[in-house]
Amino acid sequence: MNKYVEKIVEYAKRLVEEGINDDKACISLKATQGYMYATKLGVSLKDIKDTDVVKIELATAEGEYNLHASVYAAKEDVNAICHVHPKWVAPVAKAGATIPTVLDDMAQIVGPKCKTANNDVKSILAKLKGCNSCLIKDDGCITTGRSLDEAYTCVLVLDKAAHCFVSSAVIGKNVTINFFEAKLMQIIYKKKYSKANQENLQVSEEE
Amino acid sequence: MAWDKETELRLRQVIKDSGVNLLKENLVQGTWGNTAARLDEDHMLVTPTGLDYIALTPEDMPIVQISDPSIWSDGKKPTSERKIHAAIMAARPEINATIHSHPVYCSILASARIELPVMSDEMQKLVGGPARVGAYGLPGTKALKKGTVAAMEGRNACFMANHGVFCAGKDMDEAFEIIRIMEKSSYEYIKQKTLEATGQKTYSDELLFDYFVSKFSK
Repeated sequence: MNKYVEKIVEYAKRLVEEGINDDKACISLKATQGYMYATKLGVSLKDIKDTDVVKIELATAEGEYNLHASVYAAKEDVNAICHVHPKWVAPVAKAGATIPTVLDDMAQIVGPKCKTANNDVKSILAKLKGCNSCLIKDDGCITTGRSLDEAYTCVLVLDKAAHCFVSSAVIGKNVTINFFEAKLMQIIYKKKYSKANQENLQVSEEE
Repeated sequence: MAWDKETELRLRQVIKDSGVNLLKENLVQGTWGNTAARLDEDHMLVTPTGLDYIALTPEDMPIVQISDPSIWSDGKKPTSERKIHAAIMAARPEINATIHSHPVYCSILASARIELPVMSDEMQKLVGGPARVGAYGLPGTKALKKGTVAAMEGRNACFMANHGVFCAGKDMDEAFEIIRIMEKSSYEYIKQKTLEATGQKTYSDELLFDYFVSKFSK
């Protein structure tokens, strides 16, 4: 099987195992020579098979696929994208709120803040500046990574941060980490895990 | 070396099983979190840094010197949080096993920096009183270690501000009982506070969603 397809199917299963059983999800991996692989739209994550992953030309991508292509064009170090709708992200995306740095692992993996974008490419690209993910008004979140493992981990950490943010806001207070400390953690994490991620990036296309 | 090979092999398996059990019981996500088991007065086995708990073998666990955790041997590179495990073991001779993790409900109280009152006799017995929140420190720093050690005084568990939870027991079974009661008690406390805030009588996640959206929508 093509290695890109294999990775996408593997991570779709892993998301389902983590309770993210999404029928509006789209997962993609940037390939070589101006292409990406992405899941077919409208296929539930739990049902994804290798035949549900399609090869798409970045330059002519439309709709949801255009969103992914635009992110790849805007952010050179991004090689994988998950557009999913985790449970705890939903109320924050509905409220149009920004998740501040509530946890160390959020600072490291997601970034110091996670803002809600309007549901259009321009707004999403703006909110992804300096951050590995953003929420989309009434449409879940988009997470990015140098590898699919990074984008997948970002989904889990973001959903936990959203859970902490929502619960803390209701029961009393949110205490956030200082922006500079959060930024420092993000930079250190990125450097520390660069080597491991480079290995993940060496996915060769076997067609 | 003041331990026998049989003890070491047994504790290597205990550490291996602790990682798998944290995953099975949903008390950790991915590779985050770490555990330690004392070998003797000045040595402990810990989990390595950043590795999958399922794939780890008992032989992968490094031996770390408690009095100077920068010194380690055998196994793979130890967790960067080994200094906290070592500090607790050095200060508390009765402690033989420690767990640091980020279960969801403990993480909520850690992020809100809210002290958890005693929620049950079981919590009083296992934790030793209300669970404090240690002062914030960046991961791997002296500030985090100092804050955690101070919050653990007279307790078997504490929250680490904006980070997670730390638990200590006379053995790994007890450390697991402690992390379980911390997560259960945190959930009960959050539920109670949510009902107070919303004025409702029955808790559900949807109640929390709706209240949040009604109060915090832009």
